[in-house]
Amino acid sequence: MLSRHADSAFWIGRYVERAEATARMIDVHYHFGLESPLVGKALTWESIIAISGQEELFAKTYPNQDEASILRFFAFDDANPNSISNSVKYARLNGRAIRDQISSEMWESLNRFYLEYQGWDVDRVLQESPFEFFAWVKNRSHLFQGITNRTLMMGEARDFHDAGRFLERADQTARILDVKYHDILPKFKGDAVVRDQAAGVGGAVDTHGWISVLKSVGAFEAFRKTHRQGVTPARVSEFLVLDSKFPASVRHCIGRVNDCLRRVSGNKDLSPQNEAERKVGQLYNSLNYMRGEELIKQGLHESLEKIQDECADIGKAIRQTYLKY
Amino acid sequence: MTQSQSQRPAKGLFAQYDTGGFFDEMFEPDGTARPHYRNLFKTLNNMSSAEFRARCELADITLMNQGITFTVYGDEQGIEKPFPVDLIPRIIPAKEWTQIETGLTQRVRALNMFLDDIYHDGRILQAGVIPRELIVNAPNFRRNFIGANVPGGVYVQICGTDLIRDENGTYRVLEDNCRTPSGVSYMLENRLILTRTFPSLFRDNRVRPVDRYTTQLLANLRGFAPSQRDEPNVVLLTPGVYNSAYFEHSFLAQQMGIELVEGRDLFTEDNVVYVKTTHGKQRVDVIYRRIDDDFLDPLTFRPESKLGVPGLVNAYRSGNVALANGIGTGVADDKSVYPFVPDMIRFYGLGEPILEQVETFMGARPDDLKYMLDHAKDLVFKATNESGGYGMLIGPQASPTEINDYLDIVKANPNGYIAQPLVALSRTPCFFTDTVEGRHVDLRPYVLVDRNMDVTVVPGALTRVALRKGSYVVNSSQGGGSKDTWILAGDGS
Repeated sequence: MLSRHADSAFWIGRYVERAEATARMIDVHYHFGLESPLVGKALTWESIIAISGQEELFAKTYPNQDEASILRFFAFDDANPNSISNSVKYARLNGRAIRDQISSEMWESLNRFYLEYQGWDVDRVLQESPFEFFAWVKNRSHLFQGITNRTLMMGEARDFHDAGRFLERADQTARILDVKYHDILPKFKGDAVVRDQAAGVGGAVDTHGWISVLKSVGAFEAFRKTHRQGVTPARVSEFLVLDSKFPASVRHCIGRVNDCLRRVSGNKDLSPQNEAERKVGQLYNSLNYMRGEELIKQGLHESLEKIQDECADIGKAIRQTYLKY
Repeated sequence: MTQSQSQRPAKGLFAQYDTGGFFDEMFEPDGTARPHYRNLFKTLNNMSSAEFRARCELADITLMNQGITFTVYGDEQGIEKPFPVDLIPRIIPAKEWTQIETGLTQRVRALNMFLDDIYHDGRILQAGVIPRELIVNAPNFRRNFIGANVPGGVYVQICGTDLIRDENGTYRVLEDNCRTPSGVSYMLENRLILTRTFPSLFRDNRVRPVDRYTTQLLANLRGFAPSQRDEPNVVLLTPGVYNSAYFEHSFLAQQMGIELVEGRDLFTEDNVVYVKTTHGKQRVDVIYRRIDDDFLDPLTFRPESKLGVPGLVNAYRSGNVALANGIGTGVADDKSVYPFVPDMIRFYGLGEPILEQVETFMGARPDDLKYMLDHAKDLVFKATNESGGYGMLIGPQASPTEINDYLDIVKANPNGYIAQPLVALSRTPCFFTDTVEGRHVDLRPYVLVDRNMDVTVVPGALTRVALRKGSYVVNSSQGGGSKDTWILAGDGS
């Protein structure tokens, strides 16, 4: 497969997943804010902006952290490279670049996602209900992924697409968890373990917050079935990061990336054949052998940050090994 | 045209149709449908405009969703627009097609022989049939390719020749496209759209299929591979997603099952071209390139080009990779060479030209120039090195100021201009919201040449329509649309 084609397939996977994850993240915070009497809206939005790493960019255009500004910034702003509108646009652009490599149905689905997106704006979202809008984005992403599953040949294009999709999902799950974490003690300075103990107190508001995190990645029901003892930060974190069966857990996603890369190279040995396999194998193994409490012990925020950094390294290594052209 | 109107049926889609005194593809001057259009006419005329409009809307949605678009330049990134398709097909009966087919076969052979000649011995120049200075000064003549041998002596593997019909219905060649002719994907897609939205129309007509085009093209391209390669790797080289014809490039690559590559995917090593893959380099044998000569290789042509592949030209000259079309073919479709094509056909012993041309005045000839300047308001002026409907002046439709401004440019560089009388292009019915009106059309069939100089003209063509009322400019960049074009197996009922 041409490196450039593989690169596009990889990024289609990433961008579609990113559009969905961003929609999920804003959605859950929006609704969390509606029902949370103790946590002010400003605080809620602040965490999202902080985790996106775009405080400066946001502040440049938007004087207030209000609902409409947040929606505009994350869903429609061309200046925000990770806005949903940009993710959809880039996904389609990559689809266009390899429309001879993917199925016509996939291309058409991406194209319609993009074209229909042009019919949305902040006013319409607020008027019709943000819930509907975010549900529509998620459904469009699922439709595309379903079509991809059903129509794309079981070959390299699919493996690179899936590698992109699951790498993005792993990264986003860690990120969403991190946003929530930031909410609880955004400005806490000092020892990470002390901070986490404070966070783990688990009042009513706090439980509501963790439930919203679970809901945002579609994990609430699955979590309930797995952990009947109740919602605690440790259990939620363990579930979202380490659970072996939940399809958006970091561990599961990294495992899928690992599978994809191994299929591409055909390497059946334990030891890696290239830097991409080495990086992904490293993270996968560490997650495989990690216990839930270790996540907290090292400081949850620090653990999540480390995972995000390693995801970024995996992306770089894949690029270096296969996609550079 | 009250006389022709009186012949029209009182109701139905064509009730208000007026041929406007032009040669109409569908109707005789007396208003009756031509024999090869009769079945179509019967079906359509039983339809209400609401019914027809519903089909058009269906087709539009399909086009947009499938991304069958072209890009209009002039904007920073270009705007994507769906390529407008008019759903009333244009029909050509078998006997007319036979003339077109044999005429184009003869013509494209002559153009290839001409290129092989001027890049080798220059017999036609020595014989004085075409002035030598015209050729050596032509902007697309590649001096550094003199003496270079190309596989089979074939320079133009794919040619798109534009034909028009005059007021008497005579087919005339307006120009050849010997570089990177585009539009064939629309020929194929238009058929697909029509069979999907209007299957009933095909029922009583024997329409020859067009889908053999890509199969034939692929077989031809494979044939041009360097001889020692048994499983040739054919790729299609595109300038990228922002090119106006990108849809076509990806469509053709997909239909032929070959890789769609950009310049940055390719590199050369020891005069061999390779493509970068996830599993290392892979040799390339044939490049169907949709990039102009100028951008092909920054080492030979424009050094600033990022679209091309450094070293490609040397690989081509060494015979390690084949290009379709070859380099330097632009001199064959130069507008100042066009007037000599009939003589060219005779010179290479191919007989009398089968297809007529349009009378042409050349700025390079003093007598012609004088005529051009004196009769500007009756003539169509064209810059010899422009295409796509750019750099044109249509005298009869221009204001005196526009004419004067244009003539100033012509006087400054007379060699760069030709002029032709305005041919009253034939018209054909097109559907607009709730009426059917006549619009001017041309015809671009696609001619394929294989390594043995065998020629295939796939029975189909792109009919381009000047959708703006009264306009003669059919280019998609200038508000043109297209029609599915039916070549019938017979001559109609």
